[in-house]
Amino acid sequence: MSTPAPSARDRGAALPGGETVVQFLDVWKRYGAREILAGVNLSVFRGEVLCILGPSGTGKSVALRHINGLTKPDSGDVRVFGESVVPLSEEALSPIRRRLAMLFQGGALFDSMNVEQNIAFPLKEHTQKTPKEIAELVAEKLQLVGLPGTQKKMPSELSGGMKKRIALARSIALEPEIILYDEPTTGLDPLTSEKIAQLIVDINLRIRTTSVVVTHDIVAARTVADRLAFLHQGRFQFVGTFDEAARGAHPVLSEYFRSMGFPCGTGAFPAVGGGT
Amino acid sequence: MPAPQPSATAFFYRNFRWLRFVDRFGRRGQSVVEYVGGLTQLAGQTIVGAVSRPFYASELLHQMDEIGVKSVSITGITALFTGMVLALQTAYSLAAFGGKLFVGRVVSLSLVRELGPVLTALMVGGRVGSGITAELGSMTVTEQVDALRAMAISPVRRLVVPRVLATLFMMPVLAALADVLGILGGLGIAIVELQMTTQDYLTSIWNQLQISDIMSGLAKTFFFGFEIALIGCWNGLRTEGGAAAVGIATTRTVVFASICVLISDFFLTKLFLSL
Repeated sequence: MSTPAPSARDRGAALPGGETVVQFLDVWKRYGAREILAGVNLSVFRGEVLCILGPSGTGKSVALRHINGLTKPDSGDVRVFGESVVPLSEEALSPIRRRLAMLFQGGALFDSMNVEQNIAFPLKEHTQKTPKEIAELVAEKLQLVGLPGTQKKMPSELSGGMKKRIALARSIALEPEIILYDEPTTGLDPLTSEKIAQLIVDINLRIRTTSVVVTHDIVAARTVADRLAFLHQGRFQFVGTFDEAARGAHPVLSEYFRSMGFPCGTGAFPAVGGGT
Repeated sequence: MPAPQPSATAFFYRNFRWLRFVDRFGRRGQSVVEYVGGLTQLAGQTIVGAVSRPFYASELLHQMDEIGVKSVSITGITALFTGMVLALQTAYSLAAFGGKLFVGRVVSLSLVRELGPVLTALMVGGRVGSGITAELGSMTVTEQVDALRAMAISPVRRLVVPRVLATLFMMPVLAALADVLGILGGLGIAIVELQMTTQDYLTSIWNQLQISDIMSGLAKTFFFGFEIALIGCWNGLRTEGGAAAVGIATTRTVVFASICVLISDFFLTKLFLSL
């Protein structure tokens, strides 16, 4: 059985009240007639792993994409490292985006490039490193995600879990200050999900990043999260620790936990690493 | 309990059915304006991206190979057989006027001024335009384009500029090759079917063809190349949905690119004739 991940306090994560690196201020976003985000407010603190939890289709990924400016709000403000990203053009966003990385749901590896070229891509674009240094860094990152020796494989030769790990290696190539994870465990079997979740914790520890993880996987959230933010009906209905959520701190969240097979307030949660 | 008051929109819709048509027409017009506006904006960004750093030289060379070198066979075969057909048709339709004498002139002028550039553009529009849309469209729906943006890399500079420049550079080369192959196709028919000599055929071309004919034909191809690649890229980048959306976008590119080539050919011909 796998070892439980260290808790937030063990990891020395910044607690609420530390430096705020991402801030949502009354963010509204509508697609057609549907209100996706309806006055969202949230702060992410340096060094923590914050999980945005909620059922599918509630706008978790949309909220995440506001952080690196891939999506712009209809109104409200999103501040990253204290700077508003809303009015910035694509060019002006570049300095902020270089300090962030994003792991996409499907991995978003470049089909036309092999694993090595995928991981080397941001390094070639944004650093002056020599090909030898880049090759060493690629090998190091592959080692970190547990896939050494896969440099020459094409994305089409990789399984879903491997793709996500390679995409994770590409995301951490530039050692970003914040990593945004969009459904990192969706579509994976429980064992692979657990490996990815452990990897997120490891990376958070090793390169001391802040992580924002969008997921509907409660087991993964339990493994990685210092804090949970539960998105429902366009707003964060609950922001707090997993333990607070599990004690039934919010009725809608408790209902969500129950619907996923985790009865709140009973202490009947399965051990970390258990399947859903 | 009183019945709820109908909204103003519902009232007008019920009493003035023609408003629905106006509404539908307006929405259609809005989408056309949005499409053209987006295309124009992309054209501007592409021009800016083409003249400012960073440049992706290796990507440009790769695209010149993909777009240009790999289109040689399709454009060459098209031009070769068009030249042969032109020679046959000219000899047939002008037989009463001693049509053989005009075969070289008609084939060369038609090809160099019009058919070489236009047929090449239509072939490239079909092969390259659709290929660009399919590639960028699938990159868009699998979030690879968003991954570029998230890495602070401009998709316009990395994806659009090399494809547009490669098409721009390779179109005149392909059209020139098409001109030569078309004329050679006509020569083959002139010798085999019409019993003309090589010298007669080539001399008639030499006496008739002006440098200005060649230049006006090749100059058009820059515009055609720009249109085709830009439409291909724009339709690819605005693809939303899954595989079906990529298919629709690809078809749209072939249709739009072909129409744009034919319409702009008319205006470019008018322009060059007036110069």
